[in-house]
Amino acid sequence: MIKHPAWSGRLLGVLAAGLALVLPWQPAQAQHDIRGITGPSFNLYTYPANIPLPEGTSLYMWLFGDALGGANATHPEGVGYALPQYPGPTLVVDEGDEVTITVTNYGIPHPVSLLVTGHEVTALGGSEGVFTRQAGLYETVTYSFTAEQPGTYVYHSAGAPNPGLHVEMGLLGVLIVRPDDFDTSRTAYGAGTETDYDQEFLYLLTEVDPDIHFEMERGHYTHFTNADRFAKIWFVNGRVFPDLFEDDYSPIYPFQPYSALAKAHPRDRVLVRNVNPGQDSHPFHYHGENLTYIARDGRMLSSDGTTANLGRSDNTINSPPKQAIDAIWTWTGKDLGWDIYGHDTEHTCKDDDNDGWADDDADYPGEWCADHGKPFPVSLPGPGELAFGAWYSGSPFLGDAGDLPPGEGGLNPFAGYFFVWHSHAEKELTTFDIFPGGTLSAVVVLPPDVDIE
Amino acid sequence: MNSDFKKRALPAGVLAVLLGGSGAASAVVNVQCPGDLNGDADWDDVVDGVAEVRPADNIKCMHLIAGDSFAVMSDGNPLYTFGFKDITGTPPEEAIADGILASEWPGSLIELDEGDEFYLSLTNVGTVIRPDLFDPHTVHWHGFPNAATVFDGVPEVSIAINMGATLTYYYKVMEPGDYMYHCHVEATEHMEMGMLANLYVHPRQDATGCTGSIPCPVATRKGGTDPAAPTGYVYNDDDGTTAWDVEKAIQISSFDSRFHDASLFVQPLPFALLDADYPMLNGRGYPDTVVEGALPAPVDSEDGKVTGTAGTELTNGKPTQVEDAVVELAQGERLLLRLNNVSVDRFYTLTAQGLTMQVVGTGARHARGVDGKNIYRETASVNFGGGETKDILIDTDGVAPGTYFLYATELHQLSNRTELDGGMITEIVIN
Repeated sequence: MIKHPAWSGRLLGVLAAGLALVLPWQPAQAQHDIRGITGPSFNLYTYPANIPLPEGTSLYMWLFGDALGGANATHPEGVGYALPQYPGPTLVVDEGDEVTITVTNYGIPHPVSLLVTGHEVTALGGSEGVFTRQAGLYETVTYSFTAEQPGTYVYHSAGAPNPGLHVEMGLLGVLIVRPDDFDTSRTAYGAGTETDYDQEFLYLLTEVDPDIHFEMERGHYTHFTNADRFAKIWFVNGRVFPDLFEDDYSPIYPFQPYSALAKAHPRDRVLVRNVNPGQDSHPFHYHGENLTYIARDGRMLSSDGTTANLGRSDNTINSPPKQAIDAIWTWTGKDLGWDIYGHDTEHTCKDDDNDGWADDDADYPGEWCADHGKPFPVSLPGPGELAFGAWYSGSPFLGDAGDLPPGEGGLNPFAGYFFVWHSHAEKELTTFDIFPGGTLSAVVVLPPDVDIE
Repeated sequence: MNSDFKKRALPAGVLAVLLGGSGAASAVVNVQCPGDLNGDADWDDVVDGVAEVRPADNIKCMHLIAGDSFAVMSDGNPLYTFGFKDITGTPPEEAIADGILASEWPGSLIELDEGDEFYLSLTNVGTVIRPDLFDPHTVHWHGFPNAATVFDGVPEVSIAINMGATLTYYYKVMEPGDYMYHCHVEATEHMEMGMLANLYVHPRQDATGCTGSIPCPVATRKGGTDPAAPTGYVYNDDDGTTAWDVEKAIQISSFDSRFHDASLFVQPLPFALLDADYPMLNGRGYPDTVVEGALPAPVDSEDGKVTGTAGTELTNGKPTQVEDAVVELAQGERLLLRLNNVSVDRFYTLTAQGLTMQVVGTGARHARGVDGKNIYRETASVNFGGGETKDILIDTDGVAPGTYFLYATELHQLSNRTELDGGMITEIVIN
């Protein structure tokens, strides 16, 4: 069995093939936050753009962009990013902020607007629209509200002459309100609510009917009847498989900055913000382990306001349009019945505090010691009898890159465990009639010694 | 005429199996089951004078084939399917021959107990009706907690088994509840084609009872003799609130006949336009849902859609739809509905008109909050999409005897394509 030294070779192979996964992981960091821009003041614009699809075509969209060019980006790679984007910029504010969002319409032929779920929004400027004030071409509207409660919310445009059109065309995004004690306590809903987390990822679900986009691109603005809408492409974070594995702000996808590959270590608490700003419901299924719900639409599922004691457990989130679910996913590797690091690799399971888990200074921190040293329970068929996935490491063991036939595997440089996270309406694993595509995203559980940015 | 179809199909299938896959020359049906000496996944045999010994009661084995077959919709329309079938007890050298044209819709039930060590061998017998295909297959135990990728059955991130060969999955079963299993290879196609089945796990509490503040007796399915003992529990509730007397696993599914016919006649598959026209419960539309036990072995339709001749036998003569969806119980008994939805293209809402549903679990987990309190929910309907499972208890204490209906509240789904009064309806008969 080949251990860690094989990574570098595999890694070079990945780079050479132009299929870089998520590189580089910076050392000395262990936590991932959702990418976006911070408030409390935002200056957005709207403009059309064509996003690329993996089968070689492109799709005409109406999009939000950050007029400040990422000046307030949450992460360095977002600084300077000013393009219209799908989804719109993820807006990150603090509880109690007086938020203002200025929207200027630089190129959408219909008046655009901004609705924010769960908030009482005041609008100034532009003209009166169906639900709120709207910005016609070269007009500006300022929307302001107080972010009173932490949580996950949807924002989107909607208005005359066709309220269903704007979300279809891509004018949507997510607002995240962090609790006011976030600087001292990394939680979703505040210290003491037991909503602590290690990793945070956005799973934003949308779908489109490309026929509508073709009509809009040709300027046939009235050639669209809501009743005829029939989605044929399904997105996570604005991308489809396999594009969604590519890193945040990848230049390959200039108008789709957000990755949908989650990363975690064994036993990490992963906060998943499962949001559907689209028009259709999606049953989004998480492999590897169940999630525990903590909130819906920015309100903790709680009978006493203290902890999320009404949150149930599930492996599939029933996601109707505009719903936001916050849930915690944790994969531990406990009780597999065999040593996940391989019983014949040289390592010990040091557990001086006798909690059952390997200590932080052990060979593999967080290893479930009861399974340590147990042999793999079956023998696997030979390579000629198996078909291998591109994200399979070649070994059943975590962190162990096994031998694979030439041309197989190669997209799992750190020999993690990939678990797919996808819509279980399996039709939604296609991109415009092509399988695999659509919502086939994933989490990768990485060996404890691999850092997560 | 009946045998002509098989005569043509079988050699093609054998040929496909022999030629398929890069490693076909070494391919072998290799069933791994501790204590089993002859590869048939049971412990009933004496091999070379040595009796097989099951190592422990919690060791369980099963041998599944993955292949193709037909299922007949309630309006008589035969649809080409892919699927699974349990062939435990079949000698390995006969597994492929027996597995050809034998897959079931839905696949064979897997029923386990918490604490089991389950060795599941999957043999890919190929798709005899489509010898141009050489698809691998997998078992994905949907919802398995703390899964390892190697046994998660997702081909993009793991391994899948080629035609003519066997992959043995190992599961240490830790969490009771309602799951499902399905093939994850080319998931949209293989699942629409029918590689879907019921799977559930009984809790340890069945054998132990509970001794908490509200004690509960050992369940009768594990030898309990207390007059108040239920047949079983859904979860380790420690308060007896998930006790049930009669259980029924029902899989909510749907087929788009255009997709199946496109597959049968080797046409491009309509992924984007997928739009089911046969809503089903356990692989049947009403009124077949209330036919107890197996439906007759599939034969060709009146217009001879498959073979050109009406009534032609389409499989090896064995039934392929063996699970019914009808429920019968006595007044006062508690009914457990183990519902799992595998629809690939839409949501469904089920109601049991006149009966109160209590949701005691979702996603194979007990509905209990982080503070230890039960968060059960009484409801008249459950809405769910593909991948969701619901544990529903229906208490018939004081309920008037009679026939109640379990059906989709999307009433336009109560049809078998153009035939009305069909689709997603079944009966709960209370005596």
